[in-house]
Amino acid sequence: MGSIFRGKFALFLKIAILAGTTAILTLLAQSAFASGESAIGAFLVFAIAILNFTYFTKFSIPLKFFVPGILFFVAFVIAPIVFTVVMSAFNYQTGNYISKEASIEQVLILGVEPDANQTTFDLVSGKTADGKFAILVSDITNQKFFVSTKDSLTTLEVSKLTINEYGVATTAPGFTELSADVLASDTSYSDIRYMYENGYYIKIEGQGVGAVFRQKIAYDAASDTMKNVITGEIYKNNGRGNYALVGSPQEVLTPGWRTPIWFENYTKLVTDSRVRTPLIKVFIWTVVFASLTVLSTFAFGLLLAIALNRKMRGRRIYRSILILPYAMPSIMSILIWAGMFDSEFGAINNILHTHIAWFSSASFARGAVLLVNLWLGFPYFYLICSGSLQAIPSELLEAAAIDGANPRQVFRRITLPLLLQILSPLLIASFAYNFNNFNLIYLLTGGGPRNTLDGEIAGATDILISYTYQIAFGRNIHDFGLASAISVIIFLLVASISFYGLRKSKVMETFG
Amino acid sequence: MCIFSLFPLYLVVLSSFKTGGSLQLSSFMPKEISLENYKMLFSSPKIPFLAWVKNSIVIASAVAISSVVIGAASAFAFSRLKFKGKKFGIQLLLLVQMFPAVLALSAVYVIMERVYSFAPSIGLGSQTGLILVYLGGSMGVNIWLLKGFVDSIPAELDEAAKIDGASPVQTYWLIFIPLATPVLAVVCLLSFIGTFNEFIVARLFLVEMEGRTVAVGLQQFIGGQYASNWGAFAAGSILASIPIVIIFLSLQRYIVNGLTAGSVKG
Repeated sequence: MGSIFRGKFALFLKIAILAGTTAILTLLAQSAFASGESAIGAFLVFAIAILNFTYFTKFSIPLKFFVPGILFFVAFVIAPIVFTVVMSAFNYQTGNYISKEASIEQVLILGVEPDANQTTFDLVSGKTADGKFAILVSDITNQKFFVSTKDSLTTLEVSKLTINEYGVATTAPGFTELSADVLASDTSYSDIRYMYENGYYIKIEGQGVGAVFRQKIAYDAASDTMKNVITGEIYKNNGRGNYALVGSPQEVLTPGWRTPIWFENYTKLVTDSRVRTPLIKVFIWTVVFASLTVLSTFAFGLLLAIALNRKMRGRRIYRSILILPYAMPSIMSILIWAGMFDSEFGAINNILHTHIAWFSSASFARGAVLLVNLWLGFPYFYLICSGSLQAIPSELLEAAAIDGANPRQVFRRITLPLLLQILSPLLIASFAYNFNNFNLIYLLTGGGPRNTLDGEIAGATDILISYTYQIAFGRNIHDFGLASAISVIIFLLVASISFYGLRKSKVMETFG
Repeated sequence: MCIFSLFPLYLVVLSSFKTGGSLQLSSFMPKEISLENYKMLFSSPKIPFLAWVKNSIVIASAVAISSVVIGAASAFAFSRLKFKGKKFGIQLLLLVQMFPAVLALSAVYVIMERVYSFAPSIGLGSQTGLILVYLGGSMGVNIWLLKGFVDSIPAELDEAAKIDGASPVQTYWLIFIPLATPVLAVVCLLSFIGTFNEFIVARLFLVEMEGRTVAVGLQQFIGGQYASNWGAFAAGSILASIPIVIIFLSLQRYIVNGLTAGSVKG
């Protein structure tokens, strides 16, 4: 068996796998660089280098074990975290989503205006004798006919044309019409600005129709400004990802681009009351929700563990039944609860003979969220408490009983403090977990009820993480910058809570 | 207490055999047993249930197996090898795995959107892309979990191998892997459950009806028309849950160990 891992076969296998991986990664790196994603490309090149280096040299043996793990970890954990921090310093949001070059291009495409009469012409699309895309335009009102390409305009004599019953020229010398099939399969001809007079151009607006436009906005790269060539208005780069009109900074050209605004997303959290007020509300509910969940699930789990700790008939059956909610995929159970709380068709109103619109009222919705989470969470603490109860030395309890303590005193003075000591890291971990219990909120209430008409993003049951999700992927506006800033803050909060928990549990000290 | 535990589950089972489409309790005993809902799952063209199950299984298996293969090597190194920066490495791993994946979601989204721009088959919207994202995301937790298990395997055997002149790589393949196989299988199954259960990344990633996972598919088809589809949903969720519940109950012991080691089921 050892020969597989030594010898020629192993070497061959190693080279084959490495060569294959290198080839795939090289291909990917090439196309990444080709489409301008140099950061991703650079990472791939780095991955290729480190893979080959590690497995072809004896530089470091531990690295041979770590490299694949490290690469994945860096690509999909570290990089997104770093990227989140970077995005939090940007105005990355709807309207400022693209790069500056793409934004300038878009602004120029959109910065056109039709002529005063909004003239349209009938036309035929085709090619000139030298193979350029061209249109044969019929200005019926003025009885003028011409062939226009991107950079030429040739007026034609009526006598040389074929004119159909609507007065539209259909053929001209040196002009070949393109068939409908070609036109349908190749759209590039309709993006061309065909030349017209006085700085105007003709753009194809539909089959056989073109309209007259001229460029209104021009870009000056030297001063990085946009100019309205007709009115002479200047739009300056406002440093926040838009060109704004000089004198009235509210008027900006769209779309803008993503650009660093440094700490503005963070200061907004404090200074802008439209952001601050919901954030504080959501934060308070998050803490209340997480604390109540930990408290209720722990209390329930502990009670059950104590009740089932003594020997009784059918204990195993009870145990299995009690952990069933925990064994079910949580997504399914949350959705089932969502259905049960449905005001019209749900079982809960049905049994209680009530007509409560559970998810339309803030307090009912919050109650429902807590109840469901209790259902989902108590088996966890039941399992843990029943394990820990057995770990408490029975001598302690017996000694207390001999000293005359009644069972309640034993529980309050001995069992509970000991349990809390053993379980405090888990309680803290559970708090941190529920602090970010996205699935529960998102699937049960969707964070609602919220007043969408007022443009409210934060709902009554939204916790920080679902609120962040709404900001980043909500219905109307996607604000990745602000969402990232909140993410960074949540991370700092959760990390310090968990770090404290770990310090307490002394896990950190056991690393050797 | 048991009623509280069981009631929703009982209700789902009842509803799945009922013809009406609501999660209502008309009586505690079923009046009729109809397989209508189950038939609908397998025949209705609007609900590609089998495709969803297949997607979920493919994605979850790919993630579970690859993450254990990759993670076991790292866990072995963390647990058994001595090298510079080990303590720092473990602390970084621990700190970073606390970062909730949802928080970096917009970043992952933007990155995969860019990957899509040059390699659509592994970018946003592809199952391969989703697998890669899951794999990366599971790295921290899995290495941590595996390290805990590896630590519990006695080190005497591989120390003996070392004395006999085996290199770390040989020790890993010839001594460690055979010893650790049951443990690796458990972590693999846990990882499978975790991925099977994942919702939000899959929701953002998989837009096409046919390409969805069970979780996303079922959520979407009750999301739209409330109440009308609950029977089929109940049937679907039962079918999708049974394997998970079985795996879970049979792995109970290990899961409880994993829980006390500081990880919480998602």
